[in-house]
Amino acid sequence: MKILLVEDTEGVAQFVRNGLLENGHVVDHADNGRDGLFLASSARYDAIILDRMLPGGIDGLAIIESLRKTGNKTPILILSALGEIDEKIKGLRAGGDDYLTKPFAFGELLARLDALVRRAQGGDTETTLAVADLKMDLLAHKVARAGQAIPLKPREFALLEFLLRHAGQVVTRTMLLENVWEYHFDPQTNVIDVHMSKLRQKIDVQFEPPLLHTIRGVGYRLGLE
Amino acid sequence: MIRVLRSTAVRLALLYAGVFVLSSLLLVGFLWWRTAAYLDREVDAVILADAQAIGDRLHDFGLPGAIQTINERVGRARDEHAIYLLADPALNPVAGNIDGWPLEIGRRQGWHEIQLATRDELHATRFLYVALPQGFQLLVGRDVQDRAAIRGEILHGLGWSGLIALLLAMGGGLLVRRGMLRRVDDLTRTTNAIIRGDLSCRLKVRDSTDEFDRLAHTINGMLQQIEILIDGVRGASNAVAHDLRTPLTELRGRLEALLRTRPEAEKTFSELGEAVGDLDRIIAIFKALLRLAEIDSGARLAGFKEIALAEVAAEVADLYAPVAEDKGVELSCDVPSGLRVRGDPNLLAQAIGNLLDNALKYGASPGRIDLAARRLPDGEVEIAVSDDGPGIPDGEKPRAADRFYRGARSRKIAGTGLGLSLVAAVARLHGGTLALRDAAPGLIAALTLPAGPKP
Repeated sequence: MKILLVEDTEGVAQFVRNGLLENGHVVDHADNGRDGLFLASSARYDAIILDRMLPGGIDGLAIIESLRKTGNKTPILILSALGEIDEKIKGLRAGGDDYLTKPFAFGELLARLDALVRRAQGGDTETTLAVADLKMDLLAHKVARAGQAIPLKPREFALLEFLLRHAGQVVTRTMLLENVWEYHFDPQTNVIDVHMSKLRQKIDVQFEPPLLHTIRGVGYRLGLE
Repeated sequence: MIRVLRSTAVRLALLYAGVFVLSSLLLVGFLWWRTAAYLDREVDAVILADAQAIGDRLHDFGLPGAIQTINERVGRARDEHAIYLLADPALNPVAGNIDGWPLEIGRRQGWHEIQLATRDELHATRFLYVALPQGFQLLVGRDVQDRAAIRGEILHGLGWSGLIALLLAMGGGLLVRRGMLRRVDDLTRTTNAIIRGDLSCRLKVRDSTDEFDRLAHTINGMLQQIEILIDGVRGASNAVAHDLRTPLTELRGRLEALLRTRPEAEKTFSELGEAVGDLDRIIAIFKALLRLAEIDSGARLAGFKEIALAEVAAEVADLYAPVAEDKGVELSCDVPSGLRVRGDPNLLAQAIGNLLDNALKYGASPGRIDLAARRLPDGEVEIAVSDDGPGIPDGEKPRAADRFYRGARSRKIAGTGLGLSLVAAVARLHGGTLALRDAAPGLIAALTLPAGPKP
């Protein structure tokens, strides 16, 4: 993917840029708002990672607003040291697609970026989702693996649906909490892990090959291998 | 001098004196007008009437008529103080009871007050001099010696009373100033003590309910609130310093040991992984603290709306259900579907979640946890989470919700020490309270919210 990174703090920029390069992405970097806005509006990117507070007279929110005004729909992930709920709402209202508070784990950033790009590309109009022999019928609200029906509780169904929509991608615990439960807080205990192990018992344990993988230190991925 | 005038006390004192003197002067002036001036006006009216009458006679009956009238009036001696003099154009007397035209009057017409020698004495006499037709000149007067004496007496008295009023004004002004300065000095002394750091100082309040007392009451209330807040901040920053120092020390130790011992790559990476884990725990504490601060600042009040409590509670219970199942804990959720409260759903979910999390961490395993909500008789809504674990000793209950407080039994279990603090903060934000009670055995954590909208 071709990604624009607009970030003025050198350490953070290097950390993000190297991580993205390691994952095979192409990265353009601007260290101030004016260059950022120029690059964003003159070249095509798959996604933009944007610091909220930037030098150069144009801050992150201003860049988002002027891009959206000109009809540019590139997915934007906002990075910010401002963690209050008000700031998040402001960033998303301005036209940002996701909001990540510093400090963050690179895995979290990458997972959210993948999810953003996927969401921007894919339509949500499918009525069935599938990975290998695991199939979900969204209309009938039924799940089956290898042709064998698997009864799921409503929350397990929602959890699996999110994983299927992001099949092959890493999803973090925070992403699951935000998207499946719509909770924006840290539930202290790793409740998500327990939910995932329950789900794994239903869709994976009696089948081969395993589809639900734990990615250490980051989260989970649904897919082959 | 300018500096002195800038003092409110001095200005008030001067204002007091000024108003006092001014009102005294008004009073004295009025008295003067009603007494001494009244006497003068009386005399003038009589003189004017006499002169009018004589003028009329001259006009109607000629000179003999006027002379006759003057002689009648002098002869009747109805008024021994009355003085008349009719003179020809050359000021030679024609009729009247004084011998010659007074030199002091000369030819100036109008009112005169002169010293006239009568019966070998000088008497104050008031005259009206009018020119009559055919060149006749008329003087009508009254001996006002007595009245002048009375007037002098009155003026004298008024002068003295004015002086006394001035002295009283100055004295009163000084008293006002001293009284005010005393209260203000008291205020200043106390405030200075507070500035020096003694927050326990309070302003003196007298028994009265005057403005200064009301001000003192208000300021004392403010000081009380500030003291509570400062204590809170002090406690929080001490706790922050202490509880971040511990994991930071661990992290630093781990990294330093790595530098010193230079183990092989495999061990190094495993230690680095642990170091990131340490950092994540520190970040979690930071985030929890920031969230607490955000809640305490009241910024979240904007997100308040009417909430169906049953839905919120059921979802949180659903989130923790698998954890409870794993621990062999029976988790029940009993919230009537009609129960509605006003609040922030995400914060209430987090608060209930923290209570369940605590119950799961510190309760019995296997055991049971009940999440229940009900409307109390006074309309408040109570959300209670009870477990059948060891509970919290009574001595620790009041401190359990303090930031970073870890009870004797909970120290070994992972956690930030901020869980109950957050619940308490959410309760405060909603205008409610958090209470910890004995379930014998176990603990009941009850979050009470103010009476919300009726179903």
